[in-house]
Amino acid sequence: MTAAYVFGCFTLQYSYILYKLKCINNRISEIRLWPGNDIMKRVLIENIVDKMVLAKEVCGTSGSILLAKGTMLTASMGHRLKNWGVQFVYVDGEEDSAQAGAAGAVSPEEIRTQLEEKFSRVIGNEIMKKIFAAVYKFKIQHNT
Amino acid sequence: MKDAAAIKKTLENVSTIPTLPVVIEKITRLLQNPQTSAEEIGKAITTDQALASKVLKLVNSAFYGFPGKISTITHAVVILGFSTVKNVVLTASIFDAFSKRISLSQNFDMQKFWLHSIACGAASQCIAKHIGFSAKEECFIAGLIHDVGKILMCNYLPEEFEAVVQNRILKNCLFYESEKEVLHITHQELGGVIAERWNLPAALQGAVKNHHYQAPEKDFSTMTGIVHASDILVRALDIGNGGDNRIPQMSEEVWINLGFENIQLQTLLEDIGSEVDKATVFMQLV
Repeated sequence: MTAAYVFGCFTLQYSYILYKLKCINNRISEIRLWPGNDIMKRVLIENIVDKMVLAKEVCGTSGSILLAKGTMLTASMGHRLKNWGVQFVYVDGEEDSAQAGAAGAVSPEEIRTQLEEKFSRVIGNEIMKKIFAAVYKFKIQHNT
Repeated sequence: MKDAAAIKKTLENVSTIPTLPVVIEKITRLLQNPQTSAEEIGKAITTDQALASKVLKLVNSAFYGFPGKISTITHAVVILGFSTVKNVVLTASIFDAFSKRISLSQNFDMQKFWLHSIACGAASQCIAKHIGFSAKEECFIAGLIHDVGKILMCNYLPEEFEAVVQNRILKNCLFYESEKEVLHITHQELGGVIAERWNLPAALQGAVKNHHYQAPEKDFSTMTGIVHASDILVRALDIGNGGDNRIPQMSEEVWINLGFENIQLQTLLEDIGSEVDKATVFMQLV
C-alpha cells in the first residue's frame, strides 16, 4: 500500500517536472533571439509558416516596432500581424523560386522589360546604365 | 490659357496659398538664442495643439528611431535635439498646409504623388548620410517639397494643369517636359514662388527651384544635387508616382560632385528601401 503510494507520488512528480521542462522549452523556442544573417527573403503574411525567423523588425502602421528582429514566428502570429495591417515580413533564408512565385513575384524578364521601358530614353548614358544595373539587381533581390 | 509670366503672376497674387504656422517662425527665433531651453521650445510648440500631436506621432515612429517612448515635446527635444524637432514641426506643417488638397485631375493620383514626395525625402536623407553631408534633415524636407509646384498648379491653375497632364499622357514624356511645351514654365519655378513666400532657407529654395538641373551654369548646391539624384532613384525604384512614368537623365555634374562614383549604389538602394519603409508613417498625415 505504502509502496504503491510512494510510487504514485514519484510518477506524479516526475511527470510534473517533465511538463515544466516542456513548458520552459516551448517558452525558450518562442522568445529565443536567433542570430540574424544577411540572407533574407520577403514573405507575404499569408505565407508565414512556423519557425520562420524575422530578419528585420516588423513595424506597425504607426511606425512602432511590433516584433523584434530575430523573433521566431508562428502561423498564429501571422494572423495577428495581418490584423495589425502588416502585409509582409522579412525572414532569414534564401528566396526559393517556388515560394517567390506563390508570393506573387514578377519574373526577372518582366522586371527587366518594365525597367527598360522606363529607362528607354536615357539608357545610352553611362551613368544611367550603372543606375539601371543597380536597380535591376535590387528589384530581383526584393522581388515578391 | 495664360502665358508663363501670367501664370507666375496669378500664383503670386493668390491670397489663399497656405501659409506656414507662426509657430515655425517662433521656434526659429528661439533656436537662434543659445540660452533657449528644451522646455521653452516645448511650450512654443504646444501652443498649437493639433501640431503638437502630429509632432508626437512622428517622433514616436520608427523613422526617428525611438518608437513609442516619447510622451512630451520637451522630452522629444531632449532626445532628438533642437534642429530635428524643428524639422519635424516644419514637416508636420507642410502636410497640414497641403495634404488636404485633393487632386482635381482624374489623371493625377495625389496619394501616389505624396508617396513619391515622402520617398524622395527619405532617399535624400539617405544620400546625405552616405556622402557625409551634415544637413540630413533639411535634405528630407527638400525632397518632401521638391514638387510642391505641382500641387500649387493642380489647385490654383486647374485648367492649365489638366492640359499639361493630357499632353504628358499623349506624348508619354516627363512631366516637366510637358509643362515646358504647354505652359513654358515648370513646377520648379512655381514651387519657387511658395518657397520664397515661406521664407525657407536658401538651400531649400534652391532645391525646389532647380531639382531637374537644367541650368548647369548655376552654382552647384549639394542639397539640390541630392534631391535631383533621389528623385531619379525613387522613380527607378517605382515608389509612388510624381506624375509621369519616365526617368530623367542624371546630371553628370551631380554624379561627380556628390561622389557617386565612390559609393556603393547597391548599399545605398538597400538603405533607401528600408528608410522609405519607415517613412511611410508620414502617409498617415496625408
